Amino acid sequence: MKIDRNNILTILAILVFFLFVWWGSNHLTAYAVRVWEDTLIFLMLSAGYNLINGVTGQFSLEPNGFVAIGAYVTAILILTPAQKESMFIIEPMVPWLANLHMSFLPALIIGGIVTAFVGFLLGFPVFRVRGDYLAIVTLGFGLTIRVVSNNTITITNGSLGLKGLPTYTNIWWCAVWAVIAMIVIMRIVDSAFGRAMKAVRDDEDAAIAMGINTLWIKQIAFVTAAFFEGVGGGLLASLITIISPTVFTFFLTFELLIIIVVGGLGSMTGTALATVVVVWGSELLRVVEQPMNIFGLHIPGIPGMRMVVFSILLIIMMIFAREGIMGQKEFSWDWIFNKIKGKRA
Amino acid sequence: MSEVILKCDKLTMRFGGLTAVRDFSIEIKEHMIFGLIGPNGAGKTTAFNMITGNLTPTEGKIHFYGQDITGLKPYKIVSLGMARTFQNIRLFSNLSVLGNVLTGFHHKLKYNLIDAILRTPRFYKYENEMKEAGMALLESVRLADKADFKASELPYGERRKVEIARALATGPKLLLLDEPAAGMNPQETLDLMYFIREIKDKFNLTVFLIEHDMKFVMNLCETIAVLDHGVKIAEGKPEEIRTNPDVIKAYLGDINA
Repeated sequence: MKIDRNNILTILAILVFFLFVWWGSNHLTAYAVRVWEDTLIFLMLSAGYNLINGVTGQFSLEPNGFVAIGAYVTAILILTPAQKESMFIIEPMVPWLANLHMSFLPALIIGGIVTAFVGFLLGFPVFRVRGDYLAIVTLGFGLTIRVVSNNTITITNGSLGLKGLPTYTNIWWCAVWAVIAMIVIMRIVDSAFGRAMKAVRDDEDAAIAMGINTLWIKQIAFVTAAFFEGVGGGLLASLITIISPTVFTFFLTFELLIIIVVGGLGSMTGTALATVVVVWGSELLRVVEQPMNIFGLHIPGIPGMRMVVFSILLIIMMIFAREGIMGQKEFSWDWIFNKIKGKRA
Repeated sequence: MSEVILKCDKLTMRFGGLTAVRDFSIEIKEHMIFGLIGPNGAGKTTAFNMITGNLTPTEGKIHFYGQDITGLKPYKIVSLGMARTFQNIRLFSNLSVLGNVLTGFHHKLKYNLIDAILRTPRFYKYENEMKEAGMALLESVRLADKADFKASELPYGERRKVEIARALATGPKLLLLDEPAAGMNPQETLDLMYFIREIKDKFNLTVFLIEHDMKFVMNLCETIAVLDHGVKIAEGKPEEIRTNPDVIKAYLGDINA
């Protein structure tokens, strides 16, 4: 890596971030820490999702499937053989999986790799179609994963799910992985591969005419996204300590979609901002789900009211600020310095 | 005589019951400017798409420098040294002008994904090399001062030049231009004519173009082929084409009818 002004500033920013994590883990309430953990995991998931949806422009709806795979793989690997034996009451687990046990880091990485491999295989059939059709087939994938995890009882314990996962996930795990995901993805975007991805987004036929193997470029984006979504799934599994086929539904994908649209399709720094806004926003909006009295009118608590508010916000966003917070721009040090010097960015 | 660079042998393209191009045969020699003309719907773009690999011909063979390229994927044909532009300019509208040109280098990329993620010295070396080559290319087409502009911000004539520059970045020996003068005013058309001659000499190219603008084709091309209803009805020097009764008939209708 080159030692120049921008890289030094980036390293400093990351140090400040970790300093904040260290301060937060000591001084913030357990609730706030938990929300930050969610935020960081979602940052990782949506950065990957934005790589395929925003940068490469392949509108797809599969992340909940990838997250589920990563969560299951990690969960199976970190549960002890004794736990698995007592949990699988319908049918016993397949023996080679039942006796497998490892610590958190290798489990996460294997979760990511397995998900990436599934993404790689999935890429070949789904990238035969473009546009709306791609959205439909990838949506189908998310549903397929749910049905499969419901029925492979000897691996996933079916609809009973996996319970009592050890809680390894803390804010440090989330922070380190989120930083890794952001660095890797932003470096891919800022390279010839990122340029090729954007070329595919803007005009796929022209990209082919420029000698770009577009299937391969889409695969790079898809597999990278799958890896980080798989690892994110593993972190989530150990955070919520219970997973079942109904945990990772399409609503997860929908939430990620809101984040990347609000942040700006194709902008990773926009995604980071939007993740904080959306995750913390949905925490603060818990108020609207409480029973309340407005001018003597009693409104009972309506679960799901937050989603209504979010959907309205998304519609307003689509009408007035279609590009999201950042559009396709990235925050960059050069931009800051040019602003200070008063030059055209 | 110079070498034959592109040879199409009895190309036929059928879409269901419709025959768009029938028995299309041409030979293009090195360093020539070859024009393909014909009325609307004559099958010119279909012929182009077969050559660039966007369509696989129903029958017939295409040879590029003696190599059979029939049915090869378009991006592979590009790496053999053939580049094209589109009838309706198709730039990557959200990339900068330089970014557009850089995509043309992608097929000969000298670093891999790991280099990009770890930011190895190799990444910086080749990334800088590409940017310098891209700027040099823009310099030679006199667009260097527009390098940081978004492609969509440029006026029409310059966008066409960027599209040609982007095609040049792939390092072609044969450049295919699909109606380069479409939508241009007479002055822009004239500029483009000089521009094409200039890059042909500078980059040692063979040019194959489709065009509607007769004056443009007659002035620029050394050999012209005429396509009508998917069939080649004439081929020859501009003055021969101008007086060929079949060509006049195809364009203006039968005088004796």
